[in-house]
Amino acid sequence: MKRAILLLILFIIISPLGILLVWNYGPAYAEWDHIGSWYPHHFWNLAPLQDYDVPGWDSPLLASVGYIISALVGVAIIISITYGLMRLIKNDRLH
Amino acid sequence: MHIPDGYLGPTTCIIFYLIAIFALYLSFKKASRKLEAKEIPIISLLSAFSFISMMFNWPVPDGTTVHMVGAVLIAIILGPYAATIAVSIALLIQALMFGDGGITTYGANVFNMAIVMPYSGILVYRGIMKLFKENEKMMPIAAGIASYVGINLAAFACGMELGIQPYINPGYFPYTFYLSVPAMLLAHLLIAGPVEFVVSFSVILYLQRSHPEYLRLPKLNFLEG
Repeated sequence: MKRAILLLILFIIISPLGILLVWNYGPAYAEWDHIGSWYPHHFWNLAPLQDYDVPGWDSPLLASVGYIISALVGVAIIISITYGLMRLIKNDRLH
Repeated sequence: MHIPDGYLGPTTCIIFYLIAIFALYLSFKKASRKLEAKEIPIISLLSAFSFISMMFNWPVPDGTTVHMVGAVLIAIILGPYAATIAVSIALLIQALMFGDGGITTYGANVFNMAIVMPYSGILVYRGIMKLFKENEKMMPIAAGIASYVGINLAAFACGMELGIQPYINPGYFPYTFYLSVPAMLLAHLLIAGPVEFVVSFSVILYLQRSHPEYLRLPKLNFLEG
């Protein structure tokens, strides 16, 4: 368990590789923001860390820092929510 | 593989939301009865691992990228119901916090990555293990093959959802599945599938050698209650 947490922290630190190695590539498959001249209508523009970056941090260096921040924030929220929800449904069973 | 808003018409969005809600209801019900207290930190960590693994974009020679998901690995360790919960939570945070995957398409994204992938993967895994009479030496390779199949079926489902739009809701994704399915499959057969294979193979091999107790956890499976 301790090793798994250390591995997770390591992944957060090296996460910028996930964008730096593909800096000149397009987005992941089916995650395009448009196709040629066709633009989809966006319903949600309120994501605080849109595209895993602090808005405006566009250079490779700043985007890398933004990516690490995003990884950290995402991991923290996901662990809290999963842990909290699972505790909640287990506690329900006891009452 | 995270479909953005505006790509799927209302019909598709509603159908997949209904499927996702039903699957999540069943999964949470199962978890409330079967998940053990000691497994709560494990499912939380696995959900985080799924999230971070999707942040690593792998280059595809044609200029786009793919990422892994990890849903089959979670299904093997904790059972497919647990994988549905763990991956759905990761997808929800990706959509809300990072604009990765749409809100209207959340149901479809859950269907592809948190339902099709772990369930098809676990079926392949169980099938291979049965074929080899539960020989433990086969576990890592079975996990690898199951993960390869799982992510490709998820990609296939994603391509189909996109590709039926011109027929049922014109104005949304503009190409038919003759184009979207091969595009999705090529990248996942060549890049994401092998990545998924190597990661699942390595993790199961490591757990088998160093922490076999994590492979004997009570699982949220179909057959047991």
